[in-house]
Amino acid sequence: MAHGHEHEVVIKDEKFVMTAKDKRVSMILMGGGLLLALIGILTNHSEHEMLMKRIWANLLADGYFFFIISICATAFIAIKAIANAGWHTSIKRIPEAMGTFLPFAAAVLIIVLIGGGSEVYHWMHHGITDPTSPNYDKVIAGKSWYLNQGFFWGRLIVFFAVWIFITRKFRKWSLQEDIEGGLSFFDKTYKTAAFFTFFFAFTFSMFSWDIMMSIDTHWFSTIFSIYNFATGWVSAITIMALTAIQLKKRGYLSIVNEDVIHDLGKMMFAFSIFWTYMWVAQMLLIWYANLPEEVTYYLDRTKNGWGFHFYLNLALNFIIPFFGLMTRTGKRNTWWLSFVGCILLFGHWNDVYLMTFAGAMKDHHGISHAPGWGLMEFGFLAMFVGGFIYVLLTSLSKANLYPTKHPYIMESALHDVGV
Amino acid sequence: MSMKNNNQKLILGIYDDPDKVLAATRNVRKAGFDIKDVYTPFPIHGIDKAMGIQRSRLGISAFLFAMTGLLTAVVMMVYMSWGDDWEINIGGKPNLHIPTYIPVTFELSILFTAFGMVATFFIVSKMAHGKNPTLMDIRQTDDRIVIAVNLHNTGDSDAINKIFQSNGALEVKERDLSI
Repeated sequence: MAHGHEHEVVIKDEKFVMTAKDKRVSMILMGGGLLLALIGILTNHSEHEMLMKRIWANLLADGYFFFIISICATAFIAIKAIANAGWHTSIKRIPEAMGTFLPFAAAVLIIVLIGGGSEVYHWMHHGITDPTSPNYDKVIAGKSWYLNQGFFWGRLIVFFAVWIFITRKFRKWSLQEDIEGGLSFFDKTYKTAAFFTFFFAFTFSMFSWDIMMSIDTHWFSTIFSIYNFATGWVSAITIMALTAIQLKKRGYLSIVNEDVIHDLGKMMFAFSIFWTYMWVAQMLLIWYANLPEEVTYYLDRTKNGWGFHFYLNLALNFIIPFFGLMTRTGKRNTWWLSFVGCILLFGHWNDVYLMTFAGAMKDHHGISHAPGWGLMEFGFLAMFVGGFIYVLLTSLSKANLYPTKHPYIMESALHDVGV
Repeated sequence: MSMKNNNQKLILGIYDDPDKVLAATRNVRKAGFDIKDVYTPFPIHGIDKAMGIQRSRLGISAFLFAMTGLLTAVVMMVYMSWGDDWEINIGGKPNLHIPTYIPVTFELSILFTAFGMVATFFIVSKMAHGKNPTLMDIRQTDDRIVIAVNLHNTGDSDAINKIFQSNGALEVKERDLSI
């Protein structure tokens, strides 16, 4: 098959070198972001409690966003492994490197839960399940068999431990395969991926209820977890595409042909529609049924200044990728794909921002007013982006840029999507 | 497609290996001969590029069908709920309201696209019930791959035969196809 092609495929070790500029940019993002956030905090004149809520909500939204991106990168490896897919093999090191951010994001979430849990989460308020307390809430007391500190922390630690353990294993086996070769690592990944996919489907659902849905403790939605998965999944794939394009631009990853990038673009397009389907499905059923306990969630997110973020969601996460990535040219032009990808990532951050803040920023009357995007939001976001880039590039530089001895590496190098 | 001649002269190369077929197809095309089609019992990656096939316009037709479905749905729903001659109160929702339109618009767009694309595909491929397809060689339905080249000049036959043979053809034969 190889002969007769325009260019010969050579599989060889390829190492990414993180330049001083890469380090500088990520450090500036982190340091500058922290500075901006501090200025934002110091110049904020709202009352202390609301300011604290806003700081915790910022950390929670960013921590959650990058957590679901990292865990969806691992899910990407697992799903491709059990589907016996080969086309993505040449970019496989990118999701593997993304997974190394998982412990950092998990640490942020744990800090937020310990430090700001009682401010952000309605069910963690003091005396909420105590009938003698003035804070007593009958509905939340009825949910306390699931939402209590013991069970909550127990399952969260188990999820984090298993997810991080398997993520590290996937990467470790893949790196070991580069040295030893053979099929044993491929087989191990395949078997572990089968377990992980099964485990992940259940545990990610609970994780999204615990971290995101329980902010508005009275409210519930059965489609919420798949909607959150769609957010993480499409963002993770977008980051893979952006990273692959950037690496190619620097002369790395010549093995990744434009058909692989095209397929990543197809997935960005398809899962943007998938995300919209879930987003609309959740909203539409609640709108139809018009039950007071359900519609409050959307009233909180469309009134009091939140409406902008709500409709921005639709524009950035559906309309722009739908029309922008519909054509073949749109997916194969790397400049355009990166441009739409950046919009998409910002849009999904906006989605997580809205999910978190509208619930977490409630005042004594149970009403939240949109604080708008300020220095704090962009500062914390820049900090996380810088940290994520630093961890991603560091992990990429520690191994070959593509698995040289993976059994499907040739299939990926010769990947062809037709005319 | 030339319909003037009642007879179409073809030269067929019969293969059992997709890699050989890819190489042969590229070489026949490079030598400037007119490939009619490649008949294969299973899809071969890269054969479309090797044959120099133009990009399918099925995607454009899909978009047009989707827009037709979308327009049909919107026109239908607006017509039905316009004025108050057929007003149905469901859950106290307003009569003309965007969220109610989403599911029907979505479904009809997909329905029109799916049916439209299947119909287009059948028409373009000239497939119909009761129509006997013209097989180049009966074995193309089983385990052989056939490259069919239009023979415009009888003098080309030797050159094409040589390309076929040098790329590992099991058999080369000429055939008159009556249209």
